[in-house]
Amino acid sequence: MSEGISERRPFHRPQPRHWWAHKPYLAYTLRELCGVAVALYGAILLAGLVCLWRGQAAFDLYRRVLGSEASLLVHLALLAAVLWHVVTWFQILPKTMPKLILGGRLVPPRAVTALALLLAFVCSAGLLAVVIVIGAFA
Amino acid sequence: MSNPTIHRSVPKRSFAPVFWLLFGAGGMLSALFGPALIILTGLMLPHGWGVPANFADFDHVLAFARHPLGKLVLLAVIALFFWHGAERMFLTLNDMRAGPPLLLRLATYGLAALLTLVTIALLLAIGF
Repeated sequence: MSEGISERRPFHRPQPRHWWAHKPYLAYTLRELCGVAVALYGAILLAGLVCLWRGQAAFDLYRRVLGSEASLLVHLALLAAVLWHVVTWFQILPKTMPKLILGGRLVPPRAVTALALLLAFVCSAGLLAVVIVIGAFA
Repeated sequence: MSNPTIHRSVPKRSFAPVFWLLFGAGGMLSALFGPALIILTGLMLPHGWGVPANFADFDHVLAFARHPLGKLVLLAVIALFFWHGAERMFLTLNDMRAGPPLLLRLATYGLAALLTLVTIALLLAIGF
């Protein structure tokens, strides 16, 4: 986290404005914004909670809005962004967690990423399966 | 004081770990269940795909939000997702030098904190 100029590191190499919109930093910017998409989805859920609190009429309107084509496109875009967040999140995981050593051997970072992605798929697919089963018997 | 001559310099405490914990929790929760949640609440429930058409009507969702476990799920998902987005937005804006760090912190962490309180208030107002 950079905190501006300190006495210990007084010099900052000049950086062009909007550096974040150009290669090679664009990939970093996109990755971070895909993480922000998670919060946008949270806002959609919070809007639903507000409508739920206001009552039946407000919540029915919320459901109609969610059923619109615009909402479908927004959610597809959010889904794409969050899927990229999932991939990058688990690509970073081996760098943020302690080294995983099994049987005296270092587990390669790629294997950690692959395993975590598999776990994420199981979690997400499992949640959808549970909801579909509950719906079928409801 | 029994021994006033000892003055150990105490390092300044940082709140950063708290925000990192919330950021990490939100990142992990969204990485594990985010895609399923978006498919569920954005695609399946509103259009009745794979679930009964009345599965997410007012009465059912109200019953879910009134159950303590439902409240816990809603609070965890909404609040942690906000804290995750806030941390990323803060770091990105800070790297872009979009403004003084304190202002950026207020705009991002502050918003997440405010929306967390709103979520808690709504969940309490909806009742049990």
